[in-house]
This record gives sequence, C-alpha cells and structure tokens, in this order.
Amino acid sequence: MNEQRRYLPLQSTNQLKRTMGRYYALSKYHRLWGKPLGRKLAWVTSGAPVELLRAFNIHPVYPEQYGAICSTNKATVALCQAAEGAGYSQDLCSYARSHLGSVLRPDLAPMQGLPKPDLLVACNNICGTVLKWYEALARHFNVPLLVLDTPFLPGDLTPQAKAYVLEQLKGMVSSLEQNTGRKLHEKELEKQMNQSAAITTLWRDIRRMCRARPSPLNAPDLFIQMAPIVVLRGAPEGTAYYRKLKQEVSQRVAAGQGALEQEKVRLVWDNIAVWPRLFGFFRLFSERGACFVTDTYTGGWAMEISQGDPLESLAATYTEVFLNRSPEFRARQLIELIREYNADGFVMHSNRSCKPYSLVQEVIRKKVTRETGVPGLMIEADMADPRAYAEEAVRNRVQAFLELFE
Amino acid sequence: MLQSDEGKGPLELLLEESALRGTRAGERYPGCRFFGYFCSYWPEELVLAAGMEPLRLFPGPGSATPAELPSYTCSLARGTLAGALRGEYQDLAGVGFAHTCDTMQCLAGIWPETAAPGPTLMIVPPVTLRAPGAAAYFRAELQELARGLSKIGGQSAGNAELSQALELCSNIRRLAAELDELRPALPSQVIAALLRAGQVMPRREYAAALAGALTELKQMTEEAHGRQRILIAGAVLEGDSLFRLVEDLGGRVVADDTCSGYRHFAQPAGEARSDPWDELVRRYSEMPLCPCRHRSLEERPAYLAELAGSRLAQGAILVIRKYCDPHAWDAVPVAEELRSRGIRTLVLELDGAEVGGQERTRIQAFLESLSSSAGGV
Repeated sequence: MNEQRRYLPLQSTNQLKRTMGRYYALSKYHRLWGKPLGRKLAWVTSGAPVELLRAFNIHPVYPEQYGAICSTNKATVALCQAAEGAGYSQDLCSYARSHLGSVLRPDLAPMQGLPKPDLLVACNNICGTVLKWYEALARHFNVPLLVLDTPFLPGDLTPQAKAYVLEQLKGMVSSLEQNTGRKLHEKELEKQMNQSAAITTLWRDIRRMCRARPSPLNAPDLFIQMAPIVVLRGAPEGTAYYRKLKQEVSQRVAAGQGALEQEKVRLVWDNIAVWPRLFGFFRLFSERGACFVTDTYTGGWAMEISQGDPLESLAATYTEVFLNRSPEFRARQLIELIREYNADGFVMHSNRSCKPYSLVQEVIRKKVTRETGVPGLMIEADMADPRAYAEEAVRNRVQAFLELFE
Repeated sequence: MLQSDEGKGPLELLLEESALRGTRAGERYPGCRFFGYFCSYWPEELVLAAGMEPLRLFPGPGSATPAELPSYTCSLARGTLAGALRGEYQDLAGVGFAHTCDTMQCLAGIWPETAAPGPTLMIVPPVTLRAPGAAAYFRAELQELARGLSKIGGQSAGNAELSQALELCSNIRRLAAELDELRPALPSQVIAALLRAGQVMPRREYAAALAGALTELKQMTEEAHGRQRILIAGAVLEGDSLFRLVEDLGGRVVADDTCSGYRHFAQPAGEARSDPWDELVRRYSEMPLCPCRHRSLEERPAYLAELAGSRLAQGAILVIRKYCDPHAWDAVPVAEELRSRGIRTLVLELDGAEVGGQERTRIQAFLESLSSSAGGV
C-alpha cells in the first residue's frame, strides 16, 4: 500500500517533536533546575485544574500521556506485567498499570520513567480510577496527594456541586501555599486562565477547520497533535505551536487539500485511540477513503473556559467535562458532531481500560443512529495494552462497516 | 405484613427472604411499595421516610450478557440489567443509584434508556468525605433526593418522617451488630444470609424478625473448636456459597467487610446528631469506607487490619468480583497491610458470588496453610 501517496503528512509535526521533546527534557532534568528555582514538580491527572498549579509555578507532568507514550514505544506489555506482578489486576486501566510498572521497573520504561514527583494532584472528573491510581502513587512515594472531587453530573451542574468544588479549590489553594511556600496571586491565576483560554481556543479553531470537505486532518493527526493541549495547556510554547499548526491547517483548507488523497467517507471517532496500533488501525479506514473528521476525545480539551471569578470558573469548567456527564449528554454531543461535520457514520472504540467512556457506548450508539440515521460501528480493544487487540476480527468488522458506504 | 406467615419462626422467615433475594417481595408484602437500589451508600432512610420500602437489587443466578453492556463489565451490573430487561423489577416504584464506581455511574445512565420501567433517581455522595464543603454538599444532595423520593412515594420525607426512619435503621443496625458479634459461634453462611435478608424485605418486619431470631440464635451458639478464623472483605455477594465453602473446609468467617455484608449495617461510633439531616450525613460519611470513597490514604487498610485483629482472624480472603476496579485496586494495599501484621491473605477473584472447584482448591490450600501455622477458633 502506498501510504505516502494517500496520506498527507503535516509539516508542523517537526516543530511538535521539538516542542514536546523540550517539555520532556525539562521534566526529566527538573531536579537540576527545579530546586534552585523553588519550583515543585507535580504528577497530575489530565482533568486537573492545571492553571492553579501553574499559578504556583509548579511544573506539571502527566502520567496518562506517559501511558500513551509507553504504548507507542511498545513498552506497555512489559510494564503492565511488572505491575501485575505486584498484584495489580490485568483488568485495571492499562495507562495506570503501565505507569505503575514504570515506577517499579524504570529500566523497562521509556525515558527511564517520569521524574519523581514532589506532590500528586488528582481530579476524578474523568474516572474513579485516577483516585485509586494516585493513592497507590502517594503510598509509594510518600508525597502529598491533593484530590479534587468533582461530583458526577447526571444532569446540569447543580449549585451544591459547584459550591462543593469551589470550597475544595479554596482548600487546595491553602495546601499549595503551604506546600510551595508561595502565596496565590489572583492576577497570576487570571493570567494562567487567560493563557489556558488562548490555547484552548486555538485547539478548538483547528478542530473546527475539519468541517471543510475534504477534511484537512484525520484522527491520527488529531491524536498526535493533541499532545501540547494536554501537557502545555496554559504554557506559551504550547500556544505558539498551535498558532503555527493553525496556519498550516488553514492553508490546507484554502487549497482544498485533504488529509486523505481522496476522501470518500467522513466518520466521527469516539474514545481514546488504540495507541499500540495507531497507524495500522486507522489505515484500515484511510486505505478505503474513510477519514475521521473529528472525535469526542481530543475535543475534550477544546472546552470553553467558564467566565467569572477564577476559582468559580475552574470549579465549573472542570466539573462539566464531558466524561463527567450522562449518556444523554454524550449522545447529544456526538449527534451535534455528526451534524456539524457532515459525517456519514461513527466508530466507537469499546476500550477495556476506560469503563466510564465505554460502558455507556452501546446505548449512545443506538440513540445516535436513531436520531441521525447514520450507522455506528463498535470495535473492542484497549487504549494501550496490545494484548486486547484482535487484528483479524477488527479488520473484518471494519471492512463490513465500510461496505455500507459503497 | 407478610401474606400467610403463620407458623413460621423468625429465623425461618429471614432465611426464606434471604433465599428469595427480594424476587417476590411485591407478592409477599402486598401492602408495601418497594423502591430498588444497589449500593450501601444509598440512604435507605429516605426511602422509608417517603413511605416506601428499600429493596436491594441483586443479580439472579447464572451468567447474563445484556447487549447494552460490554463483556468486561462486572456481573453485578450485567445481571441486574438483564433482570430489568426481563421485566423482573416492573413492580418497583422506582430504582435508585448512589454514585460509587465507574460501572455504577454507567449503569445509572443506561438504566432509564433500556426497558426498565419506572423512575430512576441518582444521588452523588462526595468521594472525599472529609473534604472542605463535603458535608454541606452531601446534605443538599440528600435533601434533593428526598424531594424526588417524596414525589414517587406520595409522602413528604420531612424531619419527622426522617427521624422515625433513622430510628428504625439505627435499631436494625444495632441488631445487626449483635448478630455480627455471634459470628465465631454460628455457621458463617447463616449470618451472611440473615444480613442479606435485611436488604430485601420490609424493614419493620426485618427488625422484629431479627430481634426474635437473635434469641433463637443465642441458644444455637456453639464453640467451633479447631476452625480457622477468617476475615472476608470485598464487594457485593448475592449468595452464601463462599461462606458455606469456608465453613465446609473447616473455616469460620469471624469478620465481614463485604458491601452486602456487615459493612452495609455498620454504624459509626460517636453521638448521634440532633438534626436528622446532619445525622444522615454523619452516618453515610462516617461508615466504614468502601474503596470508592476516600477519607485518608491508610484508613481502609488499617481499618481492615484492626478488624481482623480484634476478631483474632488468622487469615483474610479479599474477594474481587471480576471487573470490579475499586476492590481490585484496594486489594494491593489491604493485602500488604494485613500481611505486615501477620495475617495471611488470599486474593480471590470471582465472576459472581458462586464458588466452584477452582475456588475450593485454593481456599482449602489457604486454610491448610493457616492450620499449619496456628490454632483455630
């Protein structure tokens, strides 16, 4: 298969590699510069209010992204086995297992593992697993664990939920003041919030350009290009990178250039990528002209930052993330994406490692198909552990699905 | 009042209710309206205050694979949803979910979208129970739930009704504690069954029957010499076969921290609050932790180790229901803590509550390892 001819690589990717390489180098050598500058290093969950941490000059490091890195580096199986050997069940989240494996066996891990944390910050707006994962880390490293409990929202954000999260954020401010020896300056927090809003807006703009036909980006692009919005949210270098990416994607749209040479079918993706087979899996679609023009996962970082008082804004923004919402909300979101991006169908990754994302998908699939009339395919795999991927079964299901559009 | 209960002793009645697991509750108690729920964090008091009877939903026997849930979902969720799809809960006034694990969160979302009839309510208790603002938030959630239940039950769950319900539940918990104390001298499966009965039948009837049964049980107590003393901790167990197996193999469950066992009834120490809403918050914030909640890092492992110690348990069996993430996570630090205190620990994965040949072999070897190291009960 001549993939070069079919797929148009992004020029910006070289700068992405440099930007991310610099971030991980800074993280790795934090011990050399962090202490002299009085900057702590925190391991944080992807849904934690990083703006607050940045306002305290804390350097955030993301074990979830590291889980994906382990997977694309083919290190997941060995690391998961190390965690399983320590008693962690094979049915637990593969990001968590591979990361815990990297803590136990850094010799098996990319970059010899992540730099040790000074503190841990977990927000349960994405799942209950992060709390247990971070509890395990806190026991192992014997460092402070700050938890932000964002109640699940069966409907809209209630006044009591918002007030509760706000109270915790105030408590977190006190803990961080104590931990870092710095006072919180509201102006600094506002600045961080504005920077976060700027990068989030850029990411949203880039994604929206994929409404064009042909779409300038495909799912593998979105999954690779999301790296800065996860770890550099609010950091100027992340914003600078997305400005460049936006320019390139705009040029593609203006020139009518698609990510695929010939876009025949437009699809929406639901769930985290199948990282161990990122290109191989999506090639099953791209070789038949099927392009994923948008997805629900990378869109999770394109959220609007709520207005108002910074802490109140953080409380609302981080409680209302899509994974903290009902299947009804999620179905509506998918329906809107299908309509906005003129999609012909959608594919759901039933991800063994992510129960809150996956367990409601069948109900959502039926509802979305009923309301939009477009078909949806369910593929069972795992976001990081290749042992859960059945190549032939997946290929057959994808082929049968794509035949619907011929 | 149970239809045709003449001639049945309280113990017999409770064992019968336990075996039925609430499946014929509507028919047996035609004067009651039952409201289904899943988790020990579901505030039964509010159901009672709204004029209904709480009924814990347990999966039926055998495996179930409803199309709405993937294969990697625990059998509690699969089994109950399959039951709903078969129409087994049609007589319920409604179904309530307390937010606990990711699976329960998802099941609560799926439930109203499937064939399950009747209203569905959800309460989201705080996860970090001692976080700033947690108590006020929990109180507001409980009051909102009370409004929802009042509409369904047709009775306003106000202060007076709640106080009465608190008193009834507190009485039941006191009786359950008395029963729990008798564990070393009674067959393990009997205690498990009697505690389950308290989740599937009208609460006044249960309190009366349990009070009567306790008199009978105290006469039945017997020193069980030579049995290995075991703590069992884990998620929901809808049947008694694990307890029976331990007993058959020469063990005795002297402490139980399962979701559907004694943890469901454990009353926190300390003085009750005068305001009924504060008391409700206190009870559900201070009861022994389930792995889905957080008070401090070491509380649950330490609590279980102390429970094992106070009951002189020689060994512990940590039951992980297949695909139950919270208990699988906690098994690691809990086992470590128990072992560090000299309590041998077996981590046992089960698909449901039923045990088979493999489990028999493992538990037999485990109990034998205990008998070689120390004396029994």
